[in-house]
Amino acid sequence: MSRTAVHYTTAAAGAAILLLLVVISIGVHRHALQAAILRADPDTILADPRLAAFALDRGRNVYRRHCASCHGNAGKADQGFGVPNLTDDDHLYGSGQVSEIEEIARFGIRSGNKRGRNLASMPAYASAHPYALEPLPPQSPQQIEDLTQRLLAFTGRQTDQAAADRGEKLFRTTAGCWDCHEFNASGDPSTGAPTLTDDIWLYGGSHDDIYRSIARGRAGVSPSFERKLSVADLRDVAVYVANLSRRSKTHD
Amino acid sequence: MNDVPPFDSDTFRADRRSLVLCGTGALLGLIIAGFGLFTAQGTRTAHIPAEDAALVNGVPVLLADLNTQLQSTYNTGLATASRAQKEALLNGLIREELYVQRGVELGLPNDDIDVRAALVNATEGQVAQDALTSRPADDELRAWYNRHIEKYADQGRMTLNDYVIPADGSDPARIVSRLRQGAAPASLSLKSSGRVDDGEEFYFAARIHLGDRLFAVARALRSGQVSDPVAMPDGVHILVMLKNIPPIPATFEQAKDAVLRDVLDDKVKRLQAGNERFLRKRADIRIAAALR
Repeated sequence: MSRTAVHYTTAAAGAAILLLLVVISIGVHRHALQAAILRADPDTILADPRLAAFALDRGRNVYRRHCASCHGNAGKADQGFGVPNLTDDDHLYGSGQVSEIEEIARFGIRSGNKRGRNLASMPAYASAHPYALEPLPPQSPQQIEDLTQRLLAFTGRQTDQAAADRGEKLFRTTAGCWDCHEFNASGDPSTGAPTLTDDIWLYGGSHDDIYRSIARGRAGVSPSFERKLSVADLRDVAVYVANLSRRSKTHD
Repeated sequence: MNDVPPFDSDTFRADRRSLVLCGTGALLGLIIAGFGLFTAQGTRTAHIPAEDAALVNGVPVLLADLNTQLQSTYNTGLATASRAQKEALLNGLIREELYVQRGVELGLPNDDIDVRAALVNATEGQVAQDALTSRPADDELRAWYNRHIEKYADQGRMTLNDYVIPADGSDPARIVSRLRQGAAPASLSLKSSGRVDDGEEFYFAARIHLGDRLFAVARALRSGQVSDPVAMPDGVHILVMLKNIPPIPATFEQAKDAVLRDVLDDKVKRLQAGNERFLRKRADIRIAAALR
């Protein structure tokens, strides 16, 4: 072998070793970052640019693989399926903290996981037994119309004030709506009962959409990924989803 | 000729060193094995993984669980909780894990009915969870909707009067005839049964109020029609249908959240049935002769 060939071989071996060291260093660095993310209080991660950048990068990939099929790549609402908008500041459960989102991703909503969120669902008032968990009286077509008018009235869209007034009374008494949605219809993030006074609608806010929600009931599902995703994946995707809402606030 | 090397030769020292090292290695191995065997530390790892708050006999207690407990108990998180708060809750989690492990050692899944019921529910729930993590394609949802379209119809609604003719010699057929000719019920001194006086009702409510037989008659009436006399134990009934709106199938767009729920429920049921078949197939189940 000539001296030149020996030099080339030595240089190539050196480069390969250098490359290997770089790859190992990057791997070690990424591992350390992920470990720091896992050890951190989840609700502080977005405030740390170094950790946030890493978690968002990994979280985006996890989101696209496992969440986008329902929530879409952009995290926008799909009222047909009752898929909430992940990019606004309105949260059905909790207040949009990373830890809350991580818990939902891990245990789900009405997912069959006992640690998931499953305290309540929307009764189907146009049925003989509107609600499985407690006895609630069915409502007549007129009563459902009255309740619909009441909900439309929150955004000034009622077409029959007398019906809206009757609906208000039903809301606070026999229909039992107050039990989940509170007397002032402000909702309850611990049970996932949405606020009814704003113009954000999970299943559509037209007269017919609201009437149908009251008549037929609703019970959206979010799967439990406890056994499908690693702890690191769950943390990173929670950071990513929390940031979707945060990002839209920043843009506003 | 003597082959044994002299006592102070290099060969003898090398042989002795090999023997000592070999014996030391074997002894060390036996000590480690014994330590592992008799102190139940066989699965112990050198460090605690980043996602864990503790390892209890190798079983992780997740930091995420500790954080959740901190939030629900003290309304605080890992970053802001005091050392005492973390310690108190972590001790609780460790205690729980120890008792779970001890319970398994004691065979509680075999003996305790609550543990057994919880395990059955949790295993069924696990199958359900696995089914829910994949979203059915729109084609699958539409196919389901088309096969079960009647299920996604709104409740029909009806507004009607139900009159009872007392057995006092009145002629129900004549009354029906007069009603069909447009006579006002009041002019015929008809008395309501009181069953459907609350105005418009959903079909399910009308069925409850009228009973199955009268409801079947009512359902077949179109708006404005008067039924034939229906003899019932409390007298002869005549139904005057003011408005009958049969169930209207919801469109796929209107019903797709319910369709998705039903498709997933069906998938869960099928998977649970398949899971049970699999468990039975792989199990060695022997049934006493008297019970075969």
